[in-house]
Parts: sequence; structure tokens; C-alpha cells
Amino acid sequence: MTEPRIRVLCIDDEARILRALKALFRDMDVRTTVDPAEAIRWASEFDVDVIVCDQRMPKMQGIEVLREIRMAHPRAMRILLTGYADLSAVLGSVNEGEVFRYINKPWDNNDLRQTVQLAAKIARDTPVVLDKGIDDFSRDQARREVGILVIEDDPETQQRMREILQPHYQVRFASNPDRALQVLEQHETGVVISETAGQHGDFTALIKALKQYHPHIATVVVTDRANAQTAIDLINEGQVFRLLLKPVRMGSCRLSVDAAVGRYWQLKQNPQASRRFLVAPRPDALIPSWLAGSLMQRIRLLPSRLLGMARAH
Amino acid sequence: MIEAILGFVCLALGGFAWYSKQRADKAQARLAELAADLERIQQTQSQVIHTTKLASLGQMIAGVAHEMNTPIGFVKSNVEVVRELVTEHRELIKKCLHGFDLMLAADLSNPQMIEPMRRAMTKVRAALAGDERLNDGDDLLKDAVDGLVQIANLVKNLKGFARVDRDGMDALNLNECIESALTIAAHQLRDRVEVVKEYAQLPKINGVASQINQVLLNLITNAAQAMEEGGTLTLVSRRSGDQVEIDVTDTGAGIPDNVMPKIFDPFFTTKPVGEGTGLGLSIVHKIVQSHGGSIKVRTAPKKGSTFTISFPVDHALLKQSAEPK
Ligand SMILES: Nc1ncnc2c1ncn2[C@@H]1O[C@H](COP(=O)(O)OP(=O)(O)OP(=O)(O)O)[C@@H](O)[C@H]1O
Ligand SMILES: [Mg+2]
Repeated sequence: MTEPRIRVLCIDDEARILRALKALFRDMDVRTTVDPAEAIRWASEFDVDVIVCDQRMPKMQGIEVLREIRMAHPRAMRILLTGYADLSAVLGSVNEGEVFRYINKPWDNNDLRQTVQLAAKIARDTPVVLDKGIDDFSRDQARREVGILVIEDDPETQQRMREILQPHYQVRFASNPDRALQVLEQHETGVVISETAGQHGDFTALIKALKQYHPHIATVVVTDRANAQTAIDLINEGQVFRLLLKPVRMGSCRLSVDAAVGRYWQLKQNPQASRRFLVAPRPDALIPSWLAGSLMQRIRLLPSRLLGMARAH
Repeated sequence: MIEAILGFVCLALGGFAWYSKQRADKAQARLAELAADLERIQQTQSQVIHTTKLASLGQMIAGVAHEMNTPIGFVKSNVEVVRELVTEHRELIKKCLHGFDLMLAADLSNPQMIEPMRRAMTKVRAALAGDERLNDGDDLLKDAVDGLVQIANLVKNLKGFARVDRDGMDALNLNECIESALTIAAHQLRDRVEVVKEYAQLPKINGVASQINQVLLNLITNAAQAMEEGGTLTLVSRRSGDQVEIDVTDTGAGIPDNVMPKIFDPFFTTKPVGEGTGLGLSIVHKIVQSHGGSIKVRTAPKKGSTFTISFPVDHALLKQSAEPK
């Protein structure tokens, strides 16, 4: 039997975009609508595999539509297709929409088609990790056992994070990539919290590499150097779990870290599901030289210790 | 004794003179300081005005880029898809031609050949007749042409907005200026603000287009920012005696009494650091004044605000346009 055709749902307030997508995905089963409410109903009614949604629409923002669909029909993979990247939309698409890819208009036809095909395959083959998270008992256990690594070289922020996190989690700090890897090599680490950059360079390259080889680790980026493009890259190439702006607030920081610990815990029980957080490969040329050599090697060699496999299985 | 008193008085006066000279010197120094301060402020002000010009340029570019990315998105995609369709179609034609060649080469005197050939031809015919690809391609190209027209209009508007080609005084139709400013502001409005336009037939005014457009853009931007949660932006134009007037009305937060007296002050802003420079309305004021116009504000808390700008009708222009050509 052949695989049933990929089911895609496209949402945009511009009918001509919808016609273009329908033609582009002509070998798939495509439904299109300008009406967000209809889209939310259709997602589960037609059991779609992939959602392609515009961000700026008059009735409802794309990330809201995606958030609703994520709750109603979590199996589908979500792609945001947008003409203009403003930072708040990008943050929302991470923190609320948990999108698989953030793609700018005008798009590249082949890229978009391949992304949708990949997303559909993942949606069909890969179990869902539900948002409900974990029960109280496991949460307490997770908090005790799962290590949290904070990569940050600003002493003030380090101090602040210590105050917020130390009482509840196993927190370790690193102010440079080498030290970060030492921690990862020695301790089961489920959540990595990091700035986008420090004096020692671009931390995002490190987080992306880590996620590429160890997709079950949940990364939370906390930054005061926010810009839309960095954030988009962190989604597509780093599948960042949460993106927070400084100054760090106690409440949102703890909520995010708790959710991240829960996510890691679930993926640890269900390693297959981490394919849902597959990152787009980065061209080698973009990997900075300080990372490309031995650090990269050490990242690749991390897995068994990291997952705490011996205990889990 | 008297001399002593006089002497004392002289001394006192002298002392006073000395003292007041001290004060005067101090005052002088203070004045010099103030003057230096003032100069510094004026310098930073002109610097800031320069950066806001750049900021509004950036804002303009961001707006137009966003407005263009959507049509560019589907035009590009459609053209590529149509190319693929053409390739697929060429393959189909190749197959038909191959069929023809077989037919032409076949030995038709052999009756056994005829039936299979008929069957093959019927199949090909059905496939060709049912192939929607050319129709689809046609629709896609129609959209593409549409999209290109839209992009061309945006570019035209942008040129009209900046008037790069002709700076200086010009006969302006304010309705067109509103439209230009709206295009530029579109990305700030599109998601959440409904725009209502009530334009009257207007006589032309004399003005610098890029400046008038800037005035309207600043007012529209403020209105959009006052309606965080969405609302209605109403743009009314009318003639009132010797004046042409434009209302920019929002259904936003309104302006509190204690804020009102300050809104035209340079650098006065209630927006968070980094978001507002507080120069928007002072620039508006300056430009309106230099055009011999005036500006009025009406506002009600939580209901919204109306900014009305008026400009004198140019009688020379009026006469010109009344004269037969
Ligand atoms: N339509 C409006 N509704 C409510 N308040 C307004 C409106 N327009 C202006 N204001 C008030 O007047 C202040 C000054 O406006 P102005 O345009 O000069 O500066 P700004 O908008 O704060 O900064 P910028 O224009 O540089 O972005 C604003 O901060 C706001 O408090
Ligand atoms: Mg303003």
C-alpha cells in the first residue's frame, strides 16, 4: 500500500498566497482558508499533518492560531510563514506556538516543499509529547535528578539565576563553552539555559550544535541582545524551547525552567519523540572555528552519559 | 565724625560694589554656562532630529518591505510552479508525439493493429482532456501579474512619499498625501486597526510633499500606537472656507489633562525608553507652521483623540485650475 497523501492546512489572509501554496503543494492533499476559526476546527477534523500559517492577519495573529491548534491537534507540525519578522512575533512563535520552522516570505519553493515533507513524515512517525507534562511525583523526582546548566558570563545575571533556581533545582554554572562541556560530560543535564553571546563569543553556535546531536535537551535562551533574525535562527537551527528577555523575572523564569525540565523528562522516557525537535542542518561554513574542532567532537561523544540511559533503560 | 561715617559709607558702598561685581561675574559665568548648555541641547536636538529622520526612513523601509514580501512571495512561487507545469506539459506532448510516430509507422492494412491503437489513443485523449494543469497555470500567472502591479504601485507610492524626484514646493492634493502615508504605515495598522476614509474633493494647497507626508505619517503612527488593543482610525478631509482640513481620529487611549500641555514639546514622550523620541508632534508642529497652517487637538480619555490640521487654500492655484486650458 502506498502512503496516504500528506495533508497540509494553509492559513493566510491573502487568497493569492493560498492559491500559490496550493499549486506548490499540488502533490499533497491541501486545504486552505483565510478564516482562523475554521482552520482551528479543520486541523483535527481532517487530521492534518502540517500547518502552514501566516503571522499577520486581521482577525487573529498566526501564533494564536498555532497555539490553539497545538492544543486541539498536537500531532500536527507547525510552520510559520511570514512577511515581516518583528521580535515579539518571533518570541511568541517559540514560547506559545512551539513552531517547527519560521520561514520568511518570499520563500524558496524547494526548501518549503522539503520542509513540509519532512514535517509531515515526523508528524506521522513520531509520538507526541503532551503539554500536560508530568505528574507531581515525577516532577519532584525530575527536579532532584535533572541537572540544569547555566551558560552565562555576566556575574550579576549568574547571581540572579542562582537566587531563582538554586533552591529548587540542581544548578551548575559555566561562563565559557569549555567549562560548559565539562559540566555536560560529568552530569546528567536536561536543561541548558544560556545567553546568546558572551565575551567568549557566540553561545548560540554551541546551543545549536548541542541540540543537533542531543535533541532531548531543552534549551532556554535568556538574552538582552534580542534581535529577530538571531531568534529565527534559534528556532530553525536550534529548536530553542523558550526565549526570554532580560531582565529575568522570577515567575516566568521558573515556569519556563519547570516546563523545560518536564519536556526533558518526557523525552527521556520516550526518546523517539525528540525527532519532533529536529533542527535544520547548519552549513559547516557557519560553524565558528573555536567550536568546529575538539569541542564539536566532545559534543558528539556526549549521549549515553547525558541521557542517564543506564538508569532509564 | 561725619567723615568717618562717609568713609564708612564709602567703604560699604565700595564693598557693595565689589560684592555686586562678584555677583555679576557669577551671573555672567552662569549665563555663559547656560548658553553652552543651550547650545549643547540644540546640537543634540538637531542630532536627534537627524536620527528620527533616519528612524522614520527605517520605519518606512520596514513597512514597505513587509508590504512587498507578500506579493513577491506568491509571484515568485507562481512563476516557478508554472515553469514546472510547462516542463510537465512538454513531457506529455512528447508522449503524444511518440504515439503519433508509432501510428504513422504502423501497417494499417493489418486489422489487428487497429483496435489496440484506438484504445491507446482514447486513453491519451482522456488524459489530455482532463489535464487541468494549463488552466491552473493560467490562474497562477493571472495572480502573478496582479502581484506585480501591486508591487509597482507600492514603488510608485514610495516615490510619491519621498518625492525623491522633486523636492521643494508643489501643488498638492492632500487626499493623495493621506494615501501615501497610509501605505507607509500599513504594517502598523493592518493587524488590528480598521481604517475608515472620508475624503472630500479638495482644492490643491502649496507645500512640500515629503514634509506633509511626514506630518500625516507621524499622526497616523501616534494614532496606531494609542490603539494597542485595536480600534478604528478615521481619516477625514474637507474644505472649510479658505482652509483645507484633515482630521486624524483614533479610538485609543486619549490624552490625559496633565499630559496635554506638553505633547508638542520636543522630547516629551510617555512611551518607554527606546520606543518614542518625543519628537513626532514637535516635527508636525514645525512643518504645519512653516506651511502657514494650524493644528488642533480634541481628546477624551479612553474614547480617543482627533488631531486636525488645516492649511490655507492657494488662491493662485485655484484660479489656475479654474481657467480653461
Ligand atoms: N493619538 C494620540 N493618542 C494619545 N496620546 C497621544 C497621541 N498622539 C500623541 N500622544 C501623546 O503625545 C506624546 C508625544 O507624541 P510625539 O509623537 O511627539 O512623541 P512619541 O510618539 O512619544 O515619540 P515618537 O513620535 O518619536 O515615536 C506621546 O508620547 C503620547 O503620550
Ligand atoms: Mg509619535
